Formats: sequence, C-alpha cells, structure tokens
Amino acid sequence: MAKLARPSFYMGLWRIGSLFFLTVLWFIENGTKGTFVLVMLLAIMAALRWRVRLPSWTVLIDLCFCLLFSPFWMGSLYGLALPLVESLWRGRPYYCAPIPFIVFASEAATVHFVVFLLSAALFGAVVRHWQQQRTSFWREIDQERKARYELERLKIDLLQANSETAQMAELTERNRIARDLHDHLGHDLTGALLALQAYEQFQHGEQAEKMFAQVKKRLTRSTKRLRDTVHDMTPVALIGEQTIESITENFTYCPVSYQKSGNMDSVPVYLWSLLIPCLKEALTNVARHSDATKVAVHLDVTETIVRLSIQDNGTCSAQSKDGSGLRNLKIRARAAGGSLSVNRSSGYSIVCVLPIQERKEAR
Amino acid sequence: MTIFQFALKRSFRNKTNLLFLTLFPVGAIFLPASEIWPFLPFGYHYFGVLILFVSIRLASIMLEDRVKGVVKRLAVAPISHLHYLWQNLLAYMVILLFQCALAVGGGVLYGQELYSPFALFCLFVTFSLTSLALALAWISLFRNKETSFLVFMSIVVLIALLGGLIMPIEMMPAVFERLAVIFPTYWLSSGMKWVALGGQTTDILLIHGMLLLYTVCFLIIGSIRKIA
Repeated sequence: MAKLARPSFYMGLWRIGSLFFLTVLWFIENGTKGTFVLVMLLAIMAALRWRVRLPSWTVLIDLCFCLLFSPFWMGSLYGLALPLVESLWRGRPYYCAPIPFIVFASEAATVHFVVFLLSAALFGAVVRHWQQQRTSFWREIDQERKARYELERLKIDLLQANSETAQMAELTERNRIARDLHDHLGHDLTGALLALQAYEQFQHGEQAEKMFAQVKKRLTRSTKRLRDTVHDMTPVALIGEQTIESITENFTYCPVSYQKSGNMDSVPVYLWSLLIPCLKEALTNVARHSDATKVAVHLDVTETIVRLSIQDNGTCSAQSKDGSGLRNLKIRARAAGGSLSVNRSSGYSIVCVLPIQERKEAR
Repeated sequence: MTIFQFALKRSFRNKTNLLFLTLFPVGAIFLPASEIWPFLPFGYHYFGVLILFVSIRLASIMLEDRVKGVVKRLAVAPISHLHYLWQNLLAYMVILLFQCALAVGGGVLYGQELYSPFALFCLFVTFSLTSLALALAWISLFRNKETSFLVFMSIVVLIALLGGLIMPIEMMPAVFERLAVIFPTYWLSSGMKWVALGGQTTDILLIHGMLLLYTVCFLIIGSIRKIA
C-alpha cells in the first residue's frame, strides 16, 4: 500500500484515466479510424513516461500530436490536458504556454473545455506541490537520521574515551607512587642498609655508635615517609566497592541485603564508574516506582568478569518499558564490552555483567 | 547471441511447443476456403489467432525465467536486461517469421487462393510483432504461468470475436463495430480484407502503422524488469 502514498501513482492513474477519456470521446464523437492513431501515439508517450524518465521538453511532442490531429477531429484538443499536467508536474509550466492561444484560436473554446483544462492544470499543480513537499520531508528525515547516527557514534566514542582516560589516570597514579617510593623511601633505605653494613665492620666504639644512630634515624625517617606516602595515596572519598557498600547501607526505603565475593581489587576503576550508577539507578527505581519490601544486591568478581545483580520482590508489570536512565546504562555497558539485562518475571531484577580482561591488556 | 541461441533451443525442447510451432501452421495450409466469408481460406483467416497463442506460449518462457529466479541471477551477471529482452524476442520473432513463411509459402505451393501472398506475409509478420509485444506486456502482469496462459486464452477469444476474426464485423451491432477499432485483431482482419479485396495503399499503410504502434506501446509496457 506504500505506492498509494506516492504522487507518481496518481500521475499514472491520471494518464490512464485521460487516455480512457479520450478513447470514450473518440467513440462518442464518431472519430475516424485514422484519428484513433492519436490515442495510440499519446498512449505510447504516456507508457514511455511511466517506464523511463523522459526529458521535460517531450511534452511538446504530445502538444504537436494534438495540434496535428485537430483539423481532422476537434476532440483531439482534449488531449492537450496530458502535456499540460505533465509540464506542470515537472515544474516547467512554460512548455504549455501555447495552450491558451491554441484554445482561444480554435473553435473548441467552450466553457466545458476551458473548465476541463483548468481542472487538469489544478491537478498537475497540486501533484507537483505534493511531490515537492514529500521530497523536502524525506530530505529532512534523512538529515535527522544522519544527525542521530552521528550523535550515537559520538556518545560511544566519548564513553570509550572515558574508560581510556580512567585507565590512563590509574597508570599515571601508579607511576607517581613508584616515583615517590623510589625518590623518598629508596634512598633512605639504601643509606640505612649501607650504614648497617658499616656498623658490622666497626662492631664497637664511637664510630659504631654514630653509625647505629644514623641507621635508626634513617629507618625512622623511612617509616614516617612510608606512612606519609600511604596517607597521601589514600583517597578521602570512598572508592570502588566501599561506595557500593555505603550506598546499600544508607538506603532507607527498604532493607537491602548485600553480598560480595571475589577479589574487589581486580576490578578496574572505570568499571566502578559504571557499576555505581547502575546500583543507584536500580535503588532509585525501587524507591520511586516499586512496592518492594526487600532488595538483594550481589557483587561477584571472578578473574574475567564482574557481575552486579540487584533483585527486588516488587510486583511490576512485564509490559513496563525501560526508562532513559536504564537505556543509557545499557549503552554504556555495551561500550565497556559487557551487558545490562532487565528481568521482570519475578520481581524486578537488573544484572550487569562486565568483562575485566581489558585491564590486563592495559598492564 | 548466447541467449538468442538458448531461447531457440528452449522453444523447441518442449513437445507441446513443437506441436504448436510446426504442426499447426502446416495444418493451416490444408484447411478449405469458404465461398462467401471469410475471404481467405479458413486456415489463413484464423492464422492470427494461432499467432496469438504461439506468442503467449513463447513469451511464457520468460515468465518461467522470472519465477525460477533466472532474471534475478541475470541481474548480477554482466548482461543488461535489454540484451536479455531483445535476444529472447528476436528468437521468438524468428520462429514466428518461419511459421508465417511456412504457412504462406506452403499455401502458394499447395495452390490456395491467397490473392497477394507477399502482402499477406507482410501483414502476418507485422501482426506477429504486435502479438509478441502483447504477450510480453501480458506476462509482465502475472506471476503464475498457468493463470496467465488461461486468462490470455479467454482474452484472445474475446478480442478475436470483437475484432472481427471469428465472425464478420458487419454482423455485429453498430456499437461493437466501432469498438472493434480499439483491438489489434480488427486491424488484422481489415488487412486480410484489403489483401483479398484490394484497396488504397494508404489504407494498408494505416493498418501496418496501427499494428506497429500497438507493438511499440506493448513493448514499452512489457519491457519493465520485474524481479519476483
């Protein structure tokens, strides 16, 4: 039924209709056998236009056919409606400029004939306008679609860039720690070791006492620096698994049971930035839309994947759709190489599975 | 010219086709002549109907191609649809030409009264072109070979009747007499009348011209590539 929405379909109908009308006219007006040739010629031109895209000037050929046959059959002037509509449909109205002169010069200029031609012209203009509108709408839709694809592409790129930045930040931080340990602790410990070896040589005496004091001083300083370095590295804000635990503890809407398994340290930082919003979104949904009385949160970490599952015992309809928050999280999970699935069969359950191989590759 | 040769071979492979293509034209030679109407012997008068049947029989091979997916495969082959079309049509036209020559030549040798055999031959050739184009346009509307063939048979009988091939056009009501001009068969029966009774050269030119116009119109409609 898509063809019913196309202007070209109605142009085809118009062509067939006007040829049929001309045949009927020929039949009623007792046209000669020879004048039926005109109907055939116009039919050939119409068939050609249906089959291939003829240049606009070819409407002049139709015009000439009608003019040539008009001395033998006045009804042939009704055939002028065909080139008139074709030229208007193509947006070349000047090709049908001779038609008014022909009409008024001929004896056929009755009111019926003029009204017939005017209605044909109106049809041509309307179809032309429709076609133009349709083309511009299609162009607009294409542009919108292109823009949407570009935005989606950009979003995925940004999410990838985000995870790469997190990895880079982690590496940079690791470098800084290594440099700090080397610059501060390394020198002092090496000095203390050398002093201890010298102390062995001296055994007793004033020199030995001096060396011992130096070793003590260096070791004290090293211990202090080690404490300082560790203190500097420990973030004030909660990170990773601690955040998850803290969120579950602070959730007041209903009791949350939290269970975890596996080595939490092996989860890269950028994955926490996905798991935490996922948990927040799930718990927000519970508080806002659900009638759940308890929520179970499981965080399982294996060597290759991290799996966060949030299950509640609410009664939600299976037809309810994902909101923009969940859709966004799904895209982010896909960008990280994992998946986020929602199950509404018993209660409401969100399971987010993310791979952690990439971190090993980054090392 | 591979398609041309292949189309010829395919046309003769089928036994029913072979019967249509050889026995019927030969049979047409030996049919007797009537005293009043038709002006030509029966075999020649109804030869136009035979041409129409043969055309749809031949053209339905192309329909078979479409149904079997040959046209789809050809679309990815280094050959245009136009090549496929004209080589097939040329092969069918050669067969029809041969039939016309066989019927007219056989009639002359047998001693049938054909008045002007060459003019009759030319008329049959032009009508063969028209009927082939009509068959092509017809099969472009259908997907099923049997349906298209059966509906076409009834259409052929109808246009043969209304066109004045089965009964004289003068016997029909005035309305049908005028309506007959629309059908290509009318121009064939007028042509045969012209061959038998003679007339002005412009008349026969108009007849050939009209048949050719029908040919062009149907060819344009039938040339559309339908990948079913």
